[in-house]
Amino acid sequence: MVQRLKEVDVVVIGVGMVGSIVAKELAAAGYKVVGLERGEARFTVPQFQSPAIHDELRFDIRKALMQDNTREAVTFRNHSSETALPIRRWESFLPGTGLGGSMVHWNGQTYRFQANDFELATRTRERYGRHFLDPDVTIQDWGVTYDDLEPHYDRFEYLLGTSGKAGNIKGQVVPGGDPFESPRSREYPTPPQKEHYSGAMFRKAASGLGYHPFPQPSSNLSQPYTNPEGIKLNACVFCGFCERYACEHFAKSVPQTIILPVLLANPNFELRTGCQVQRINLDSTRKKATGVTYIDAVGREFEQPASLVITSSFALNNVRMLLLSRIGTPYDPTTAKGVVGRNYAYQTMSSVASFFGEDVFINPFMASGASGTLINDFAGDNFDHSGLGFIGGSFIGAVNTNGRPIQYHPVPPGTPSWGKGWKDAVVKHYNHTVMFSLHGSSVSTRQNYLDLDPTYKDAWGQPLLRMTFDFPQNDLEMAAYVTAKAVEIGKAMGAKQVAGSPRKGPYTTTQYQTTHNTGGTVMGSDPGTSVVNRYLQSWDVPNVFVIGASAYPQNASWNPTNTLGALTYWAIDAIKNKYLKNPGRLVSA
Amino acid sequence: MNKVTRRAFVAGIGAASMAPAASALSEEPAPAAPPSSHTSLGAQNAAPVVYLFFNASEAAFIEAACERLIPADENGAGALAAGVPNYLDKQLAGAWGAGERLYRSGPWAAGSASQGYQLPFTPAELFHQALRAINHDLDSRGTPFSEMTAEAQDAYLKSLEGGSADLNGVPSGVFFGLLLQMTVEGFFSDPVYGGNRDMVAWRMIGFPGAYADYYDSIDRHGVKFEREPMSLGEDSERHIHPDPNIPAHL
Amino acid sequence: MRLRRTDTGLTLALAALITVATHGIAHAKAAAPASAKVCQGCHGVHGEGNAPAAIPRLAGQSAEYLRKQLEDYASGDRANPIMKNFAKPLTHADMEALAAYFSTASAPRTAIPSTASAADLDFGQELARQGSEVKRVQACDSCHGPDGVGVLHAAPYLAGQSAEYLTSALTSFQQRTRKNDPGKLMTSVAGQLDASDIAAAAAYFSSLPSNAP
Repeated sequence: MVQRLKEVDVVVIGVGMVGSIVAKELAAAGYKVVGLERGEARFTVPQFQSPAIHDELRFDIRKALMQDNTREAVTFRNHSSETALPIRRWESFLPGTGLGGSMVHWNGQTYRFQANDFELATRTRERYGRHFLDPDVTIQDWGVTYDDLEPHYDRFEYLLGTSGKAGNIKGQVVPGGDPFESPRSREYPTPPQKEHYSGAMFRKAASGLGYHPFPQPSSNLSQPYTNPEGIKLNACVFCGFCERYACEHFAKSVPQTIILPVLLANPNFELRTGCQVQRINLDSTRKKATGVTYIDAVGREFEQPASLVITSSFALNNVRMLLLSRIGTPYDPTTAKGVVGRNYAYQTMSSVASFFGEDVFINPFMASGASGTLINDFAGDNFDHSGLGFIGGSFIGAVNTNGRPIQYHPVPPGTPSWGKGWKDAVVKHYNHTVMFSLHGSSVSTRQNYLDLDPTYKDAWGQPLLRMTFDFPQNDLEMAAYVTAKAVEIGKAMGAKQVAGSPRKGPYTTTQYQTTHNTGGTVMGSDPGTSVVNRYLQSWDVPNVFVIGASAYPQNASWNPTNTLGALTYWAIDAIKNKYLKNPGRLVSA
Repeated sequence: MNKVTRRAFVAGIGAASMAPAASALSEEPAPAAPPSSHTSLGAQNAAPVVYLFFNASEAAFIEAACERLIPADENGAGALAAGVPNYLDKQLAGAWGAGERLYRSGPWAAGSASQGYQLPFTPAELFHQALRAINHDLDSRGTPFSEMTAEAQDAYLKSLEGGSADLNGVPSGVFFGLLLQMTVEGFFSDPVYGGNRDMVAWRMIGFPGAYADYYDSIDRHGVKFEREPMSLGEDSERHIHPDPNIPAHL
Repeated sequence: MRLRRTDTGLTLALAALITVATHGIAHAKAAAPASAKVCQGCHGVHGEGNAPAAIPRLAGQSAEYLRKQLEDYASGDRANPIMKNFAKPLTHADMEALAAYFSTASAPRTAIPSTASAADLDFGQELARQGSEVKRVQACDSCHGPDGVGVLHAAPYLAGQSAEYLTSALTSFQQRTRKNDPGKLMTSVAGQLDASDIAAAAAYFSSLPSNAP
């Protein structure tokens, strides 16, 4: 028995980072907004307080803050020739849930993409020729440029209070920052966090090799900050419980600490938690959304009519929402027709371990999620790829985020996996190892895509999302190349032993890599190869906007969050100033 | 976390105490901790485990096996003294053992390595099935695992690790992998979960634990950080109160 | 009990004997340096403090913290004309020795009945263990340890400290007259509290037993 509710102006699906910002802007503009969040409400006090939150077993291993996979999982296969099976335990990627979404437990690593990334197809062709790329690689231009997004990056970074050092202000290279970055209009809102010992060692070695180290931009703040919404954040104390944990100190930029107090105080906004949206409803023309259907925590079904529907849930869930709602043509890899689910990409992660003597104390447990030191010399298109046979790259950094011992106890290759030999190695190396993170780009291909699974369902009886993905050869070659470069830096640091672990195929869901799943509702200028236009408006249903990293045509060398924040403000600008003043298609098809 | 109300209005002499447990204070006592879960630092090596999940022969295997995976040596305590069998027991006896955080719907297929765990068994079922097969096998060989030499035990464990012997439907490598994973968890997790007794594992590697403000210390590059490890469940007298909700639920 | 300046080893041995024999009586592990005389005048022989006069208890406090406060008083980074007067003439070695002495001393707490209400103490405990969402402050215990017992290299103990002193310290952070907190960590917290919050937190921590090293 479906209960039909009173119509509102806007429904926002998912009250995480994107949903919080979108809802706040629209409620502040006078619109009646309902935010539907499937998870629970939670706040810094009491849910994020320590010492209870500093529990590696509960939050790292058992993944307490993540999406409940007993009710809603994802199925997976490397290739279309296989049968997809459920990912029965999260490991490789960890979708979040709850008020504030995954941002509650992110690491705070806050990078912009570069100008080149937004026009990757055009610029790659220009620089390397039409035939440089494998024909199966389906990279595309975004339909927006870096210059379009710059003011929105700036706005997002100032919302967060991100701590960093600019490398390029209005075209002027600034010492101390990243010389490869695309121009920003001003400095970061707060200065860089303190440098970790491992970062200092890295910086010295990387400079010595002629590279350009800079402090990792961090949304775990270096000092107290009051953001433009009037909300205060505190300084981070480097507790080493960042990613997968929530911050007790009001020092990590998460919706609860940057925007929710303002949003929740606005009577135009109504938050409903425990509400699992089943689909976006369309009228008989199937070109107009009438609202959404959701089921609440006690199992009651509701229809919430709305003039405008914004799906702002996690990237994978945005794709699934469109497929379940039958908005847009699903992608079929055999025919290469259709768009929803197309161009799914990920992140190509490698690492290097540098082992030092027992007189060198690294203290890995002192860290924020983003207190690293990095180089972008081998990221993106910052180096000449002629003759290399691949595009893309990785940032390379001494990115020490924690020393939590169940998961972090580095040992050299060849160490037995248990017994006295293992124990000896753990004791010998725990506090004397520097880990480099090599955070690599991910091109999209014809074969990697998302669709609905034909067999497995969620607890509400709806098909699970099916993921078909393997690392493209392009990215594996990129990983091998950058890992070799990173090993040299480890050696230059004076380590006794340096072990590089370049990413190798096949992609496995059994090992954590990142939760940087992108694509599936790609943005672009051509409806034949994109699901949303440059304003993230659905080509098919103009009163539906799909805001998430699902919009990315491929993934770049850096963490996706900052770019998503910029896209959110960019889209909201268009929604407020163009769409709501004159509802309809913002871009002719 | 339980709210423990303690109001100590100090009357008379005697605020300072050298010994952690004794107190000359006249103060309202804290409410009694749950029975059998109140452990003081340094007092626990002798405390027997009250097994909720493992039967006697399963426990005997688990205790001996865990101790081979992480043996006592000059570095410090091994799995047994650290209470790892207790950790395993309480995890398997509770919600996680029963299948929390496991998508359990069928159909089931073996799948590729990339597709991860695909058996229908919950961790509790997996352990029961596998241990039954193991103990049956060992019975037929005559020597219980706990009575084998260390070398023989290691050889047996390696055969489980590398083999694909079917232990009542559980490939031996899958059982071994889960046993090893849980042993490491039991060794390094917060003592509130029943392992890492007295934080021996943390002390061994120098991990300071759940109280973690390093704002000043991060500047001291290369200086060894020296502080007693601290559990999330310890009170101001360094008594650890294991989570009364053991096994921990989410 | 005043320990005379005798041979250090003998002094320490005596101290240990005295500890065992008369549990709860004041003693010190390190010998009192000569420079301690001046401190002892206000802070007491073993640093027991003078709670109503807002003179803090030093006994068993983190040596690192004590030394930093002396340095900051001397330099003016922590503004206090009286303490500046005492700290300025000290050498770094003096400061080390004083910090070592007081940090290993233990002293009886003279009981001061709290005038705080039950509601105040409850709220103080809430701030200590949980913090406040509405005030946007985290649990004091997250840095100061379970029940404010102090965490080495991070934060001094608060348990059993003079409520008057805690009130004055929190207020000076709130008013930004005390500025020597790394990262403005205490300024941020105190800036969110009002006078009654401060009083509640101070009363609560003061009511807890202080622990000897």
